[in-house]
Amino acid sequence: MTKKRIAKIIGLFLTLFISFMSFAQPNDDVYLLMSSDKEAKSKALSRLLTSKQVVTFPVLNAINGKKLFTYKDTLVTIGEKNNTEEKVTYQVIQLYPEIKTLTDANSKVLTLALTDLKAIKFSRKERLSITPLLPYINLTSIDKDVRKLAYTQFQNKSQFSDLAILKKAAAKETNTELIRFANETMLAIQLKNSKNSDSQLKHITALEKNKGDNTAFILNTFLENNKYLEDKVQTKIKQSVTNLNSRATRIDWIQNLFSGLSLGSILILISLGLAIIYGLAGVINMAHGEFMMIGAYTTFCVQEVFKMLAGGSLNDAFFWVSIPIAFLVSGIFGLVIERLIIRKLYGSPLQSLLATWGVSLVFIQLARSIFGDLTSVKAPSLLSGGWHVAPQLVLPYNRIFIIVITIVMIVVTFLFLYKSRYGLRIRSVTQNRNMSACLGISTQKIDVMTFFIGSGIAGIAGCCMTLIGNVVPDMGQTYIVDSFLVVVTGGVGNLIGTIIAGLGIGQFTKMLEPVFHAVYGKVIILGIIIFFLQFKPKGLFPPKGRISDD
Amino acid sequence: MKSILKNRSYDYIIFLALFLVLLPIGNLLGIISVNTISLWGRYFCFAIAAIGLDMLWGYTGILCMCQALFFCMGGYGIAMHMLLDASGEGTYGKAIPDFMVWNQITELPFFWEPFHYFPLAILFAILIPGLFAGIFGYFIFKSRLKGVYFAIITQALALAMWLVFLRNETMLGGTNGLTDFKQLAGLDLTATSTKLILYLVSCIVLIAVYIGAKKLVNSKFGKILVAIRDSESRIRYTSYEIKNYQLSIFVIAAVIAAIGGMLYVPQTGIITPGRMDVKASIEMIIWVALGGRGKLKGAILGTLLVNFLYSIFTSVLPGSWLYVIGILFIVTVLYLDQGVIGLPQQIKKYFSKQKSAKV
Repeated sequence: MTKKRIAKIIGLFLTLFISFMSFAQPNDDVYLLMSSDKEAKSKALSRLLTSKQVVTFPVLNAINGKKLFTYKDTLVTIGEKNNTEEKVTYQVIQLYPEIKTLTDANSKVLTLALTDLKAIKFSRKERLSITPLLPYINLTSIDKDVRKLAYTQFQNKSQFSDLAILKKAAAKETNTELIRFANETMLAIQLKNSKNSDSQLKHITALEKNKGDNTAFILNTFLENNKYLEDKVQTKIKQSVTNLNSRATRIDWIQNLFSGLSLGSILILISLGLAIIYGLAGVINMAHGEFMMIGAYTTFCVQEVFKMLAGGSLNDAFFWVSIPIAFLVSGIFGLVIERLIIRKLYGSPLQSLLATWGVSLVFIQLARSIFGDLTSVKAPSLLSGGWHVAPQLVLPYNRIFIIVITIVMIVVTFLFLYKSRYGLRIRSVTQNRNMSACLGISTQKIDVMTFFIGSGIAGIAGCCMTLIGNVVPDMGQTYIVDSFLVVVTGGVGNLIGTIIAGLGIGQFTKMLEPVFHAVYGKVIILGIIIFFLQFKPKGLFPPKGRISDD
Repeated sequence: MKSILKNRSYDYIIFLALFLVLLPIGNLLGIISVNTISLWGRYFCFAIAAIGLDMLWGYTGILCMCQALFFCMGGYGIAMHMLLDASGEGTYGKAIPDFMVWNQITELPFFWEPFHYFPLAILFAILIPGLFAGIFGYFIFKSRLKGVYFAIITQALALAMWLVFLRNETMLGGTNGLTDFKQLAGLDLTATSTKLILYLVSCIVLIAVYIGAKKLVNSKFGKILVAIRDSESRIRYTSYEIKNYQLSIFVIAAVIAAIGGMLYVPQTGIITPGRMDVKASIEMIIWVALGGRGKLKGAILGTLLVNFLYSIFTSVLPGSWLYVIGILFIVTVLYLDQGVIGLPQQIKKYFSKQKSAKV
């Protein structure tokens, strides 16, 4: 009996002593959380709560979320979940003294199952005791969105006393967007609590310079709530708000321009093959969208194969590998269709239109019965996220990638058609099939090759489409009518016309979308095209010469 | 009639005997179910639209890919009338159709008003597609768009209009379309007798449209249409105003399609935008192509054949229909240039060729 008592008393003294020694630094209190002594743990927690040290907030946050673990004597929490066939693992994130994702010996991201970690449990009461501190704690959450929300809440409260903690939390912030948010919050608080006009002006200027998301709103509310501001402050606020608003409209405009560009490049990527094939063979290939679909499914298959080979985890390399494979597979499908069906329909566009429509129906149904209705490809991590060009202006990497690949494909196609011997032959067959045959060009070979290339480009388009949407059997049909419009507007069979028309239609569509609904935008586009064809019935660049007559 | 008998065309007699005499009598005797009757009635409506398409594509060489749009415009017209006719009997007992109540609309949109009265509704259901085709066609034919260009532009039109009809704010029922009809011109739509009457009306209208179309294509007007198909530039040089002919036949085809649609909707009891998408229009083309384009009989035969196949395959082998129709497209285009109607001739030609080759 007494022995136990003595031990307990000694233990208590010890903890008291330690806590006394380390009152100024949270260090030991944090490590005490790992101790098996319940009382010591709970006391350490309550001391941490009263000291309000920013360094300890991530730990408190983990306690609140019931996600505090120990791993090799460090306090950790779990991050992103990884599902493999055998087990569920999580990324491990160290919480103290700084937040970082742990890595293993090969400096790869460490993932562990929950059984490898030791959970530290706290009672419900202890967890509840953290709640009053939550607004502060959330400032250092590992989740970016939670941090953003936390800053926004401080913007609404704007108490001067919070400033010190905010400053410390902001100092630890690494994300540019959130630094801007933090600055905005702190400046807003300073502005609200500044008394003389000079400091008000100073903070307004700083706010405008910071270009935060809510700045215009903050300035407006400040103006409304303070009726007796000096004239120069009022005019300064009004000027800043107009500046910010005009900047916002400019950014909207740029964003629209960019999405128009990306839509246009998708249309170009699809229409490029269509235009070459129509120019060469006089064939309207309604199954062209399905070659795109085949490219997308090829990418999906490559992804699955990579997954299988790597035993569950997925390497980003699959996507880069799948681009040439998609080109090949779609190209081979195109080649086979050309040999089997389209070869017999050269020079009769309407007939070929119907036959290839039949081909497309068969392909769609085939894809549906093989793959089911909805599959998706995980975009490589390099292409997720976006390029922060300026505050509020983010250009997604996947769209940029599509634009880049379109430019590359255009350049390659032009080089191929205008600089290579095969290209010369393709152009000559396009101009005059019989004459070319007389001069010893094997037109059949040229046809097969053109189909291979045209369908292959569609396959690459399909590969790119997996970045921005799901892979579905009828994904080709969504774009086929639009890309035909591009071909018609550009002048059938003309590559430069196709490119200009693709960009134009993409741009117009995105410009009309914010004004009208997308559907009416489409109707208006159609109207514009019909109107345009009144003046240029053969498209932007009509074919010239005798062969252009019927 | 006399000329038909004089030509000893047994196919007419078979058609009349089968569909105007045998099927209705079989139904009255209780051998043939009313569903079968109704099914064939719907096929007749498709055949009516196909005749219009055949005159456009088979005779004039204009491949129109929005025939289903005009078909649906007529259908929507009569559907609007039937909904208004039944107003007050809906679930909510309001003077406006149920779907408007769901969309928080309290007053009837102005363009629904004329559809209160049966004759006016029919007039509008014909007039609107005709006018629409007239305006659209005027601009298209004025700029001498033809062939592929025309096909693609009409396809885009079908897509755009389909999207517009899908929207709720166009007050046409959105994705769900218009349904829950009660009566038409005082006839209860659920009654068996009404179904038989609608079937007979469809059949008679089909025959009437066929005779009218036959007269048209055999007239001087029809001869010019065929000439336009064969060589547009030569006809232009002989100072015919081609665009007028093209526009007229385009409008006529649209009106015929609308008539088909008007008869179709009371028999199915629902019309949705799904009937007018790009697919639907292209499918109409395969009806004509399979039957034999450039022959009015072929359009009817093809329509009945494809739809009959459709109902068989969807009930026996669900999921296989897209393969079947896809292969039908390919086979028709590659091997059946004259369609089923021209098949005997094609076979005869093939054998005579072989014979001559042997000799």
